[in-house]
Amino acid sequence: MEALKVWSLTASPLRQLLRLSSSSTAIYGRRSHRSSLMLRCASAASSSSSSNAATAETPKPSGRNRRAGSSSNSTSDREAIRSIRLKKVEELRGQGVEPYAYKWEKSHSANQLQEIYKHLANGEELNDESDRVSIAGRVVARRAFGKLAFLTLRDDSGTVQLYCEKERLSDEQFEQLKAFIDIGDILGASGSMKRTEKGELSICVNSFSILTKSLLPLPDKYHGLTDIDKRYRQRYVDMIANPEVADVFRKRAKIVSEIRKTVESSGYLEVETPVLQGAAGGAEARPFVTYHNSLGRDLYLRIATELHLKRMLVGGFEKVYEIGRIFRNEGLSTRHNPEFTTIEMYEAFSDYQSMMDMAELIVTGCAMAVNGKLTIDYQGTEICLERPWRRETMHDLVKEATGIDFSELGDDLGKAKDAVLLALQDVLEHKDKSGIGACSSLGHLLNEVFEVVVEPKLVQPTFVLDYPIEISPLAKPHRGNAGLTERFELFICGREMANAFSELTDPVDQRKRLEEQVRQHNAKRAAAAAETPEGKAKKDDDDDDDDESYEVTLDEDFLTALEYGMPPASGMGLGIDRLVMLLTNSASIRDVIAFPVLKVQQ
Amino acid sequence: MDSTTSSTADGAGAPSKNALKKELKMKQREEERRRKEEEKAKQAPKATSQKAVAADDEDMDPTQYFENRLKYLAAEKAKGENPYPHKFAVTMSIPEYIEKYGGLNNGDHVEDAQVSLAGRIMSKRSSSSKLFFYDLHGEDFKVQVMADASKSGLDEAEFSKLHANAKRGDIVGVTGFPGKTKRGELSIFPRSFILLSHCLHMMPRKAENVSAKKPESWIPGEPRNPEAYVLKDQESRYRQRYLDLMLNVEVRQIFKTRANIISYVRRFLDNQRFLEVETPMMNMIAGGAAARPFVTHHNDLDMRLYMRIAPELFLKQLIVGGLERVYEIGKQFRNEGIDLTHNPEFTTCEFYMAFADYNDLMKMTEDMLSGMVKELTGGYKIKYHANGYDKEPIEIDFTPPFRRIEMIGELEKVANLNIPKDLASEEANKYLIDACAKFDVKCPPPQTTARLLDKLVGEFLEVSCVNPTFIINHPEIMSPLAKWHRSNNVLTERFELFINKHELCNAYTELNDPVVQRQRFADQLKDRQSGDDEAMALDETFCSALEYGLAPTGGWGLGIDRLAMLFTDSQNIKEVILFPAMRPQDDPAAAKASLQAGNKGE
Repeated sequence: MEALKVWSLTASPLRQLLRLSSSSTAIYGRRSHRSSLMLRCASAASSSSSSNAATAETPKPSGRNRRAGSSSNSTSDREAIRSIRLKKVEELRGQGVEPYAYKWEKSHSANQLQEIYKHLANGEELNDESDRVSIAGRVVARRAFGKLAFLTLRDDSGTVQLYCEKERLSDEQFEQLKAFIDIGDILGASGSMKRTEKGELSICVNSFSILTKSLLPLPDKYHGLTDIDKRYRQRYVDMIANPEVADVFRKRAKIVSEIRKTVESSGYLEVETPVLQGAAGGAEARPFVTYHNSLGRDLYLRIATELHLKRMLVGGFEKVYEIGRIFRNEGLSTRHNPEFTTIEMYEAFSDYQSMMDMAELIVTGCAMAVNGKLTIDYQGTEICLERPWRRETMHDLVKEATGIDFSELGDDLGKAKDAVLLALQDVLEHKDKSGIGACSSLGHLLNEVFEVVVEPKLVQPTFVLDYPIEISPLAKPHRGNAGLTERFELFICGREMANAFSELTDPVDQRKRLEEQVRQHNAKRAAAAAETPEGKAKKDDDDDDDDESYEVTLDEDFLTALEYGMPPASGMGLGIDRLVMLLTNSASIRDVIAFPVLKVQQ
Repeated sequence: MDSTTSSTADGAGAPSKNALKKELKMKQREEERRRKEEEKAKQAPKATSQKAVAADDEDMDPTQYFENRLKYLAAEKAKGENPYPHKFAVTMSIPEYIEKYGGLNNGDHVEDAQVSLAGRIMSKRSSSSKLFFYDLHGEDFKVQVMADASKSGLDEAEFSKLHANAKRGDIVGVTGFPGKTKRGELSIFPRSFILLSHCLHMMPRKAENVSAKKPESWIPGEPRNPEAYVLKDQESRYRQRYLDLMLNVEVRQIFKTRANIISYVRRFLDNQRFLEVETPMMNMIAGGAAARPFVTHHNDLDMRLYMRIAPELFLKQLIVGGLERVYEIGKQFRNEGIDLTHNPEFTTCEFYMAFADYNDLMKMTEDMLSGMVKELTGGYKIKYHANGYDKEPIEIDFTPPFRRIEMIGELEKVANLNIPKDLASEEANKYLIDACAKFDVKCPPPQTTARLLDKLVGEFLEVSCVNPTFIINHPEIMSPLAKWHRSNNVLTERFELFINKHELCNAYTELNDPVVQRQRFADQLKDRQSGDDEAMALDETFCSALEYGLAPTGGWGLGIDRLAMLFTDSQNIKEVILFPAMRPQDDPAAAKASLQAGNKGE
């Protein structure tokens, strides 16, 4: 065992020796799991190699530096390692070597090499000029012998081993390799291809260059990575330690690109509408407020792109879309980040039926692009995305789940509430009951029952159709059913993925509905203010003041645009973060956003 | 080459489609000309009846007109009619229609074909109560609707009532058969004619006495002529972009060109295996550039957040994390004044490429921009009204390679200076203050060396950069995030690309030595303390990311809006932003009145 030998030479603590030997056995035994196992090896090696290097370099290593080997987690040890490595930076410069290089020409990625040379037999080496390669990446494992050193280099695509023989390198280079290279450094190397007797594809290095000297040790697999908070705060550490994290972001890029491809091949034009707006409309949510100095006015961050995209339809574009960031001043959760990404798309002369087809097309296209199949696993549940998806009205779903037929409840809200409470008395929790009590209309009541009873059960893709008009201020009245709108939401895994409607085009009706929305909002706001007579001072500390304490204003410009005539149209908004969560089997939205918003660190 | 296509997914298919569209446009222009001549010829005998129709649109008071339209809608609703239908099944787009039937012989009718078209009526004429002519506009093209009572299936009274209610600006769906008039005008002869949406305001109209010449169909890289627009008033054009899009044909092309630019950049980078990512727009620190940020507040977290001024620091963290090539196209926000080249939110592309340096990036910049100009315009040269629309346009030549000038060397040469070599010294500062005074170059305090140099470069170098020119090797004091030059350490490996005297790109070999980076931030802090509130703030997370090792990396930023301005012959950034930031309007009614007065005044 080469690895065992090297470690026994370096006088590292026994615990690590054991860990390493077991993992390196695994490396050679089961190649398919190499990257993650290699990493374990890397982290262990990381700390001890630096303490090792410290021994080599600094004449009087303090006991503290030595201890850095066994627990690189504590701050003081980190500081110690940093100062050792800073010294190496200085020494390298003293030797005329710049440890922060300017550039490296690489001929291949690690994965390309693994692919091209997969048929190379054990022990075989290629010395043809055309098999000279150069590569660059981060050192994630390192084993040094007297005249031989093995490094594992990881790049964007995968890993490959560097086989560094003293006789192929200059003396200075070999010494540099042994004394100055730590796990975590970024190297460029060139040489010829060989597969070792043990079957490891390697580059026999003729020359290498330190491209970037790292100052901090890579995290230990067992410590750094279980610290979830740190994973999000220092995403780069997470990505170095867990290569699969980067895969989520690769898939995310693929999904966005696939969505774009799908809509552009249907003739949609990509546009950009403002983030900073005089009035935040198009949804009901608390907006972020900011202030523009030179205009001397407050501006709101958009909570939806809807109202501006519809202006584009008025302007004569028949199919437009925008993929962009939306901002809502709300609490954090596994499904909510204050900024998130949506696609909104609008098509003239069509209705919500055609948007259902579009939703199916987009989601299945993305699933195929990312997973190559339509049956996916989400957190242990199998989801089948085969088209067509179930399409059911909200009324029917509620009736199916509760036995209550809202179309027969009549117009009396009080009686309807009693009927609902009676029918569901065993199902509802206390807060649900008070939610039902607070409903201000039959439409709200229907929606409340739907959200409480039906929504969580919509695991397989389901289009929920025909929402009540009271909760759909931008949707067109249903052509067949009074009191309803032509609107659907798409649910998968109990989560709303998309929201779409036949767009309301009647400016008179639209004004009435938006005015009603403002009126209701202000009423709630007034009620909330009345509940806390101490006023603002108290509200500032109050956790549940989040609902109505912001201002909602009419977007007059939008209404004027409608007065110039908007063609019949359908529109849809789809949450890209949630789609990425679904297709990458990620439990939290923070897993699919590279730098999520987090609470201030204590 | 025309670039009207919005489908960019398939590059190979695009040229033929473009060529086709161009041909269509030519044909349309020809037909337009022919029709105008015919109209002139027949104007004399039919003058009375044509005028009668025009009169009911033109002579009414705008408020009265609006109220009449509202009354009409209310009456329709009272009758139980829905004046805003949910959907209209379009069987063919207008360009497809022209393509398919444009070749008919004069006088031919294809009565057994049935086609449904939809669009906006932009012109209405009639010769009797039994015969109405409309221009139906959709997707840049138009077709004539020739509504004949005898083919409508309606009795004469119904027919004339229907058409009396169809106003210029309304959106209609027409089902009928294709044919050409005896005079050769491609038309659709409706069997049904449905009003889909209504224009309640009087549509601004081009006065007849204004030059009858229709603006030539415009393609990117060609000069524009906004003076000939139907809607000229800038305030109205920017505030009510939908009217601008409806009435000014070229404006649609501006935004299609913008979409094509972005799509080209994306394709260029995707082809080189760059990954598109999204980084936060709201941060605890606004870093990566020197600018005043927007401030907002997250209620639930009680946290102050800044809108990003650049994505740079996050993108570099992703390179540290192991993604070797990343880019982001997105909005940046700067809390600055609004002028011809500044909007508070604007779009940039930044990319970061591991193992590359600024020399590679200059080559990529040349390839990208020259390739883009070639694809969008068909050649390397564009016309641009650099000195206003009333002067002759200049020519800008994108033929690669672009000129490169050394910032300090060239400045010394052009201004005949001998700047002290140690730019960080008091002596250099003093020298530059004197130089500015000598040439009467204004530099408001604080007169830091960086700011003084910037002003001198603006005065002496930037003015000469009309064709694309790289100004390279900026002093370190001006470039806190760029790496020191490998052969002269008071300079950095940085370039800015100037075109038409404006900065389009900014790029450098990234500074990846964490110690030097911290030192640079400390120097920035000194500038900040001396009153330069645009000096950069230290970002601790970023610095510690560098300590884990950032590979040698080339980083690059491009201002998309400014590029769009160049290709669309726009001197004002508002021309290329759909909804630019505008001063608040105290009285929307006044604006409306000014719009209508403007139209009449023509």
